[in-house]
Amino acid sequence: MAVPAYAPLTPTAPPGAPSDTRTFRRRLRKFRKSYTVRVIVQGLFTIWAVTTITFFLIRLMPGNPIDIKIEQLQRSQGLNYQEARARASNMFGFNPDQPALEQYVDYMSKLLQGDLGLSITSEGVTVSSEILQYLPWTFFSVGIGLVISFALGIVIGLAMAYWRGGPLDNVMTIFSSILYGIPDYVIPLLLIIIVGLQWHWFSPGAMRGGVDPTLTPGFTPEYIGSLLKFALLPVITYVLASIGGWVLTMKSSTISTLGEDYINVAKARGLSERRILIGYVGRNAMLPLVTRLAISIGFVVGGSVIVEQLFQYPGIGLNLLRAIDSRDYTTMQGMFLVITIAVVLSNIGADLLFGLLDPRVRLGGTGSDSDGAGDGS
Amino acid sequence: MIGFSTVATSGGFVIGLLLGLIPLAVAIYYRKWLAGLSGFGACVLSGFACGFLGGVPMVVLASAVVISYAYVNRQDPFTSLASLDEVDFRETNREFFMRKMAALGNGLRATSRMLLRNKAGFVGFLGITFFVLVSVFGPLFVPYEGNPQFQRRLPGANSLFQGPSAEHPLGLDWQGRDVLSHMVNGGQKLIVTSVLAGLLATAIAVIFGAMAGLLGGIVDQVLSTASNLLLTIPQTPLLIVLAGLIQLNNYLLLAVLFAALNWPGLMRAIRAQVLSLREREYIEAARALDLGTWHIISREVFPNMISYIAVNMIFSIRASMYNLVLLVILGLVPLTEPDWGVMISMGRQQGALYNPNAAMMVLAPITAIAVFQLCLVLFTRSLEEIFNPRLRSSL
Repeated sequence: MAVPAYAPLTPTAPPGAPSDTRTFRRRLRKFRKSYTVRVIVQGLFTIWAVTTITFFLIRLMPGNPIDIKIEQLQRSQGLNYQEARARASNMFGFNPDQPALEQYVDYMSKLLQGDLGLSITSEGVTVSSEILQYLPWTFFSVGIGLVISFALGIVIGLAMAYWRGGPLDNVMTIFSSILYGIPDYVIPLLLIIIVGLQWHWFSPGAMRGGVDPTLTPGFTPEYIGSLLKFALLPVITYVLASIGGWVLTMKSSTISTLGEDYINVAKARGLSERRILIGYVGRNAMLPLVTRLAISIGFVVGGSVIVEQLFQYPGIGLNLLRAIDSRDYTTMQGMFLVITIAVVLSNIGADLLFGLLDPRVRLGGTGSDSDGAGDGS
Repeated sequence: MIGFSTVATSGGFVIGLLLGLIPLAVAIYYRKWLAGLSGFGACVLSGFACGFLGGVPMVVLASAVVISYAYVNRQDPFTSLASLDEVDFRETNREFFMRKMAALGNGLRATSRMLLRNKAGFVGFLGITFFVLVSVFGPLFVPYEGNPQFQRRLPGANSLFQGPSAEHPLGLDWQGRDVLSHMVNGGQKLIVTSVLAGLLATAIAVIFGAMAGLLGGIVDQVLSTASNLLLTIPQTPLLIVLAGLIQLNNYLLLAVLFAALNWPGLMRAIRAQVLSLREREYIEAARALDLGTWHIISREVFPNMISYIAVNMIFSIRASMYNLVLLVILGLVPLTEPDWGVMISMGRQQGALYNPNAAMMVLAPITAIAVFQLCLVLFTRSLEEIFNPRLRSSL
């Protein structure tokens, strides 16, 4: 890699041997200033801090898993308090009287070994297996929704900006402003009531859950068809809820790109309209959106609690709500951890991606900033 | 509990009538009949809605507008009707007062002109006004039905739900109560809580952002780290945990909770703005002129940020309303009727989602919430223009 002329600000070593401590210090300073190290340390700190905060927060919530279970047993089986308590504490490997700090130390030391512990309310099930069970559903539905809405948003936004003031622009501006303005839980409710109940396109009661429970899992056409059918409503919801933002951002980004000098230059060179639109305008206008896409991938894991709840879709969101309701501390903790890690990773990814896509960020900037990130290329 | 300080009362109406006489008298003195009448109307309306709390500010505003139509500024012959020979910089207290009032009135008129200029923003403004008016004055015309109305059950029907009819335009809910009465009465708490949360979040964000940007150092680091953490924790689950933690049955506490979750985004933006504004040339120029910190902040920095802050406040109000309705739909806060969110939540529990006759019970509140939120977003377009110093100065 060519060293930029202005980059090496560090003084050249004076004649004679530089002392070891000075080189070491300089290296240490460089190490601490290095972009990669800073990002990793920050990410680890965030994950630790969020884990700690949520650990104590969820234990501060009124009631604990045993109390909730006792209440349930009393209500459902008519046991008296003593019996219910005995049964409940037999069921769960959880001691509510242990001090929170001790629990914290236990939890963290296990966590460092990659052990998320056992679920409190489901006997003998590890939290990791629970997460692995629910994560694919959320990933599947939110992921597809995100990809579709992003792709559609890019194309529509580009077209709107290109034929500015045309009928497509006018209609889609209103349409996407409306979609952008309304809250996301409105969409599933409207889908159920209007499309399901009034138009009879589907039966709302039959579309609850993730897949037809009578089918056996496998790579059969029926099973995959059923998977897609049940994911349809959540995916439509996610697409409609997020497409407005993509379209509006892409439109404004494209409009500002169209005014750039290099577009005029490309036109002057006689390049075809199509090539300018895709290779010059589209690519550059997409830049800010790609980083936003990377960031929102992090929120894919968290899914949408409310959408999954309304459709009873068996993803992370629905089960996080269930875990919160039954005060299943370890499951909640595990899910928070996974979601946080995903968000942190996607933020880092967005940073790196931006550098990768925009040569100005990669090559420009001051020497100390691009230490780690740019050297790879 | 919070709500509008009053729903419209007859006492407020009298107060409004009496207060409305003041701008009317001013207008008669200056012979500006139209301005006087509309000022009178505005005073009656706001007095009716909020008593002295709404009436007194409106008297000041209405009088200011009336004065601004008639006022001749002798200090500024170039933009007012004063002739050049009359320029005089000595003024009595009364003249000073009139000048300030006229400036206020001119500002108001410029604002309303800006409001009319942006079509989308004006639609948003009208929508918000509509919802506020309905929430304040609606209960006078559509009294709230709280008790189950079993006698309305139709022969042969298996539930009290009913579709729209002439008597009940939005139908009946699962206890046979008029849905329209719940719609009219159920928006107040939601709107007030969201606005309060939005104001609080904005205040926190502005104070923290300014502190981080101006003080720097350790304060900056602590505040930035805190905001980063809050932005990383998934909002909805955190909100659910916190809602369980505080056991909220108090809407004031809920507003505080939403504000506590909502400040980081705006705070970071304000911090960045302060940092960049500090380096701008006109700030340096003001500093070189030795204009004083307070002058710089109030005259140079603030006007450049106010549009941004106002727009973000609206978005913060919107987020708070989103969160509040979300918590209510999920049944995580104690439900108190009448409330739009409670209608959705109860509708789900009572099977309104699967009963075509009952659809209105859910459809009406979600439409209201969606339209209100949409109007908020549209209104930000106008706000941008109203507070933009470059657009303003051209008037």
